[in-house]
Amino acid sequence: MDETVAEYIRRTVLKIPRDEIRMMLQKWGFLSEAQLQTLNFNQIKDNISQEVVQLCEENSADIKQAAVLDIIYNHIYQNKRMWSVYQMKKSGEELEYFDITDFKKNFKRRLRSALKNVTITFKEYEDNAIWIRVAWGTPYKKPNQYKPSYVVYHSQTPYVFISSSVLKSTLPLLCQALVVASNYHDIREMDLRSHSLNSLKDIVFKRYSQNFQTCTPKPLQGGNVEPENADIRIVEENRSEKERIHRLNQDVFGSGPQPKLEFAQYRLETMFKSDPKMDVLDKKEPFRCLVKFSSPHLLESLKSLAPAGMADAPLSPLLTCIPHKARNYFKIKEKKGLYRASFVSP
Amino acid sequence: EKADPQKTAFLLRKAWTVYSVTPLYGFRRARLRDYARLLGAFIAAEKQKGLAVEVGVELDIKVALSSLADIRGSELDQAALLVQLSSRSRGSSRNSEDKPVWWGWFCSVFGDELSESVPEHFTCLPLFLSHGAESYTALVGSWFQKTFDCCFRRLAISPLNLSWMVAMWAGCKLDRATSAVELVFSVPRLAQPLDISYAIHPEDAKALWDTVQKTPGEITQEEVDVFMDCLYAHFHRHFKIHLAAAKLVKVSTTIASAHCDGIVKILHSQYLPGVLMLLTELAISQIQ
Repeated sequence: MDETVAEYIRRTVLKIPRDEIRMMLQKWGFLSEAQLQTLNFNQIKDNISQEVVQLCEENSADIKQAAVLDIIYNHIYQNKRMWSVYQMKKSGEELEYFDITDFKKNFKRRLRSALKNVTITFKEYEDNAIWIRVAWGTPYKKPNQYKPSYVVYHSQTPYVFISSSVLKSTLPLLCQALVVASNYHDIREMDLRSHSLNSLKDIVFKRYSQNFQTCTPKPLQGGNVEPENADIRIVEENRSEKERIHRLNQDVFGSGPQPKLEFAQYRLETMFKSDPKMDVLDKKEPFRCLVKFSSPHLLESLKSLAPAGMADAPLSPLLTCIPHKARNYFKIKEKKGLYRASFVSP
Repeated sequence: EKADPQKTAFLLRKAWTVYSVTPLYGFRRARLRDYARLLGAFIAAEKQKGLAVEVGVELDIKVALSSLADIRGSELDQAALLVQLSSRSRGSSRNSEDKPVWWGWFCSVFGDELSESVPEHFTCLPLFLSHGAESYTALVGSWFQKTFDCCFRRLAISPLNLSWMVAMWAGCKLDRATSAVELVFSVPRLAQPLDISYAIHPEDAKALWDTVQKTPGEITQEEVDVFMDCLYAHFHRHFKIHLAAAKLVKVSTTIASAHCDGIVKILHSQYLPGVLMLLTELAISQIQ
């Protein structure tokens, strides 16, 4: 077995938490059940990984099999990576039948025609998700297995999720190969990024509960509307305001759980406007700002601002549009002639 | 020992943890070499007691104390005092270089308010800044406390102070402002905490401040409030969020940055005295 493959397998196993190694090796299926029985999982990970490498040696593992183990690890720990969303476009209306074998063949052929030294690995998962791992080399160097790109393509949709290699030049090649192999015409990056792959899917596949404008006011649920302090004197006056905020929040965010995003960024190029009494800045040029919101769960956090008294209800559409516009990067310019902001794609 | 002007370059672009220090009793400028020796012995003794600072590597810590005559506001201020810890690994050749591992310096920039009110034998250096391992800071701090009967307290920088800083620094005249004027807010008490970074192009922030400030060279609380209200209003117009209700935790400009936990970075040598003067003032109010 190639020593670089041995080292790669050793390092991959070391990344896995100790009590999950057995499960992942089983999913991998490269080592037999009998071989797995011989492993002692009650020792330090260094030793476990060495034993795994020995067994792989017995089975003459090559880089292709090692790459599959890496995909399995990254599929389970997908939230450690940052994912960007891309949308492919068809030139015409033709609905073509998707053939996975053709896809893989064409993808590999396209990439290899541009770059000889690449390692390409596929794994299919439920939900029509095809995981692709690409390790990149140069005409003179073998692929760097430690900086691969990962692609998740749902074949029944035009969406591709990419966790890019830090080697920036590889991205155009990757996009080209995807477009060609999937019979699309073009691909563009959406302004949507997150660690939570499932949340990105929820947003573009519209799998989250969206807001519905109701004609009649909904009957109020208990829960959120209970005032936190039990001061009897202010309950009545405060209650209707809290109910109003709750209702507006529901209208705008929907009542289900929000997709999980970690940040949203706004590049503002709008005019600075102030109360004329204040006698301050009155420039004809935009007041340039960059605003970034971060949270472990951004949308839930924003949803809780109005009830906490930190924001007006309803919250600004700049924030509430994030899921249905499927973006968390924005450039906002002043709309000419109106005291309003409009969305402009960069 | 007198320091050369180039020594102040090391102050820039480092993250300093800031403390207020009560006046030192019985401190004598002429005895710096003695103090260095005593502090060195103290550190060595503490390490032997098992309070290991570096694990694994055997290190000798060398202590150097020096005066930085250039760092003071007026003649009424004491010259700054620099404490530097360097390491030299045991067993290496005699000519091996000492590697600096920790810096701490005491200073006073226009701290007359305090020095005028203390009795004889007290030396006023109310501002202390350190950079390096926390364990060394604790060792040096406890030696100074024992030797000079003084008290160190981490400097808390309130949102009010931070808004003064950002207004002042955003308004400074610079040939080239390279960094944005950034304000970082935190909303911790939500179920899912939220951080908001609000960064303004430095030219636009300065343009705003220039229309707010009425008298050059003078800044009033009212002007700072108007400046901040303008920023809050612009934000609210877009996002409907009341930024004033969030906690301002960090401000950052081309000149300097400051964090509410008492961590400061000075980026521009021209404004070093101005930043130190502001910090000295905060340190003195914390002492009193």
